[in-house]
Amino acid sequence: MIETWNLLLGGFATAIQPANLMWAFIGCVLGTAIGVLPGIGPALTVAMLLPITAKVDPSGALIMLCGVYYGAAYGGSTTSILMNTPGESSSIMTALEGNTMAKHGRAGPALATAAIGSFIAGTIGVLLLTLFAPLVADFALKFGPAEFFSLMVLAFVTVSSVLGASMVRGLASLSLGLAIGLVGMDAIAGIPRYTGNVPEFIDGIEFVLVAVGLFAVGEALYNVLFEPKTDPGTRNKLSSIWMTRDDWKRSWPAWLRGTAIGFPFGSVPAGGAEIPTFLSYSTERKLSKHPKDFSSEGGKGAIEGVAGPEAANNANAAGALVPLLTLGIPTSATAAILIGAFQNYNIQPGPLLFQTSGPLVWGLIASLYIGNLMLLVLNLPLVGMWARLLTIPKPQLYAGILVFASIGVYGMRQSSFDLFLMYVIGVIGVIMRRFDFPVAPVIVGMILGPMSEKQLRNALSISQGDWLIFFKQPIACTFMVLTILVMFVPMILRKRGVRLSEDD
Amino acid sequence: MLKHPVQLAIAIAFLALAAVFAMGASQLPSDGGYAGVGSSFVPWVVSAFLGVIGLLLAYQAVTTGFRSLDAGDAIGSADRRGALWVSAGILLMAALITRIGFVPAATILFVCAARGFGSVRPVRDIAIGAFISFPVFWLFTLVLDVNLPRLINDWL
Repeated sequence: MIETWNLLLGGFATAIQPANLMWAFIGCVLGTAIGVLPGIGPALTVAMLLPITAKVDPSGALIMLCGVYYGAAYGGSTTSILMNTPGESSSIMTALEGNTMAKHGRAGPALATAAIGSFIAGTIGVLLLTLFAPLVADFALKFGPAEFFSLMVLAFVTVSSVLGASMVRGLASLSLGLAIGLVGMDAIAGIPRYTGNVPEFIDGIEFVLVAVGLFAVGEALYNVLFEPKTDPGTRNKLSSIWMTRDDWKRSWPAWLRGTAIGFPFGSVPAGGAEIPTFLSYSTERKLSKHPKDFSSEGGKGAIEGVAGPEAANNANAAGALVPLLTLGIPTSATAAILIGAFQNYNIQPGPLLFQTSGPLVWGLIASLYIGNLMLLVLNLPLVGMWARLLTIPKPQLYAGILVFASIGVYGMRQSSFDLFLMYVIGVIGVIMRRFDFPVAPVIVGMILGPMSEKQLRNALSISQGDWLIFFKQPIACTFMVLTILVMFVPMILRKRGVRLSEDD
Repeated sequence: MLKHPVQLAIAIAFLALAAVFAMGASQLPSDGGYAGVGSSFVPWVVSAFLGVIGLLLAYQAVTTGFRSLDAGDAIGSADRRGALWVSAGILLMAALITRIGFVPAATILFVCAARGFGSVRPVRDIAIGAFISFPVFWLFTLVLDVNLPRLINDWL
């Protein structure tokens, strides 16, 4: 335990270096901005920023990318409260009560409880990350290829079957991601596969390209095709952000409950912040002493319905870093792309990360504490500035997103072939969106697919081709059994009338 | 009479992809050494996976349509002209970037995309497009050392 605190102190020494503070600040500002803006989310932003891994040192770049990831969770609430269009899908629950409060002239307290709740949940979340990550990493040191393979199978199934309206379409997206991941060099035997003699394919299809194609081009084309052109126009007025004594009294327990719900859900591969924000909202509704305030009862908006889900959302973001850093398992599209960022530095997130790159990881964790503080300052007094971002007209906003997206793709290896491929993937993205195929399983499949093939073949080499190895080892067997159980989760959820959509 | 032709087409696309991946897999070496599974094993698994998904989707498409889907097959209301402008912008940028340089190509993309989304002030869009592509050009070339194509040889 004392050892952990010493390592964390060392991390703070890294994090407060001026350059790293600057990267954290840039990440937080960018993250808040894209959280506020509709049409652009953290997965796309982190993907577009990956070229910086070629030039910036690993700690600076990863601190910034994590700042974006974190900041987006803060910024999303601003849009949900001021407009009735959530900036991120994890803020849908916030929009319910927050927008109702804003309509009744209480936008300020709603924004304040969201920002302070995010700060408290984020800080507790990082604290839990600090405590648990080394323990999980220690435990995972026992894992061999068989354990990692079965854990990855579990991640595949949770990411693609828990989210979205239909398990078949979730698995369809996963199969597409796995197929894309096969293109290129076989990691074990070094044999090129599915390159069709196109030299650009030998290195495989860059996941940045797929992410940008699906998220930026797909989103833009979908929007121009199917969304109304006129701005919704109904922007709620900002009011004083001061919370009354009663607001505080109602927010506190909701923040803590939200944190308690959000963190565990983030740290298991269950995909995104949808489930915890939903659970937190329904918990607050059930426990509230003011049920008449909830918008579904025709009330003026209940502050605990904003405080709880926002806290859950941020605790979830911190929780998701546990499997990401200690096991190398992504639980969302953004997390999968962050793994890609590590790989660009030839660093493999996983149990060994804490030993081989200790200073880097602890610097990163320490910067999360600092980032949370920065985000509180950025979001609370300066909320008016962010609200102004919402006045950017749609044509220029989407045109700008497309310009940045193309630069990100072109900048990777200066190939116009990639730009054409990005467009083709964008068209596929439109079809997927139209027919409600989730996008995250594609990204997770293509990044985790090749890794899992490697683990599978190594595991079978060790067992001399005995497939039962995945059921003979107790840990691997547990993951396999869990995988089968997870298949039933959507059925249970649907029975209770819960429909989840994915988080990008 | 088919009620969901587009959905069936998607299912058939999955089946076709499964066939392509199976064909590719059959040409890969299957020698697996100690593991017993070689380069072709996972490709076979993925192509079987794609095939099963294709069959399930096809079944849904010919019965009641994809399950719990709001949109249905309605693509009639789509703004195709807008999508054409956006597409033209991206494809023009891809085709022209190495010839006319980064900033002009990005500006063309910006103007076309804004037009697609209903902007009616192309001159102002040219100005904004160039205004946001210039700093990005400097950022990428100078700070990140990424080589973006300059405008005609070296005078920019």
